[in-house]
Amino acid sequence: MAYRVLIVDDSPAMRAFVHRVIELSGFDLSACFEASNGEEALALLRSEWVDAILTDVNMPHMDGQEFLRRLAGDQMLRSIPAIVISTDSTRHRMESMASLGARGYITKPFLPEALRAELERTLGVPCD
Amino acid sequence: MFFVCPLGEAEPAPEDGAPAIVARLAFEGEPSGSLTLRLTEQAAHSIAADFLGEDEESLTGQRTGEVVCEMANMICGSVLSRVESLTAFRLAEPRILTIGEGAGEHQGGVALAVDLPNGRLTLLMNTERPECLEIAESTC
Repeated sequence: MAYRVLIVDDSPAMRAFVHRVIELSGFDLSACFEASNGEEALALLRSEWVDAILTDVNMPHMDGQEFLRRLAGDQMLRSIPAIVISTDSTRHRMESMASLGARGYITKPFLPEALRAELERTLGVPCD
Repeated sequence: MFFVCPLGEAEPAPEDGAPAIVARLAFEGEPSGSLTLRLTEQAAHSIAADFLGEDEESLTGQRTGEVVCEMANMICGSVLSRVESLTAFRLAEPRILTIGEGAGEHQGGVALAVDLPNGRLTLLMNTERPECLEIAESTC
């Protein structure tokens, strides 16, 4: 099964990098969408379904925390697993994002294998 | 992630005449402060090309700047994550500085430099609490 992923990050370079890393990792990707903040991501999700969301925390207009709150508050969107990608590796942040509904957490910098593993773990993809 | 092999520590003095790209971001928390990352222009283009998987010749200055900003973001977040704090930290959006904005100045705090195959990377970190700079120095 191929998966549809949404990358949410205010850095165009980071969005391009994550997209590239997902492809290079061998993850079964059928479509990859991008948004520069939570607001844009929510607008996109009104017309496109995705299987997983990769989101940054610090973003203008709507940050990762508010974005997760909105996802959790939406009957349709709350079922989409969200993985946080952040430079912040503190337990405080990880617990905070988990309490808001994040199902996974990746700390930058990361290896392609780590990103793929977290995606597959979150999506329940069987191990090879 | 940036596919960089540092050659070793260097003297963190500004390179006279060497064109460079400088990014700075402020952070809030305990402590608050700022991090400035200075990359020799040639090194910045090379790193950006590797990061984005693109040819150096096709890269725009804006794209290179975005990668340098992201590098500053990652280094700052990594350092601050190692500082014990009662509160979460928040990083401001990094931005590219011009000479007029102090891009060529050494503002004190902790300064570290490493030589790269085609240039130099210099980090300057200033915080409200001097003891945090020791952690920054050991982390970088």
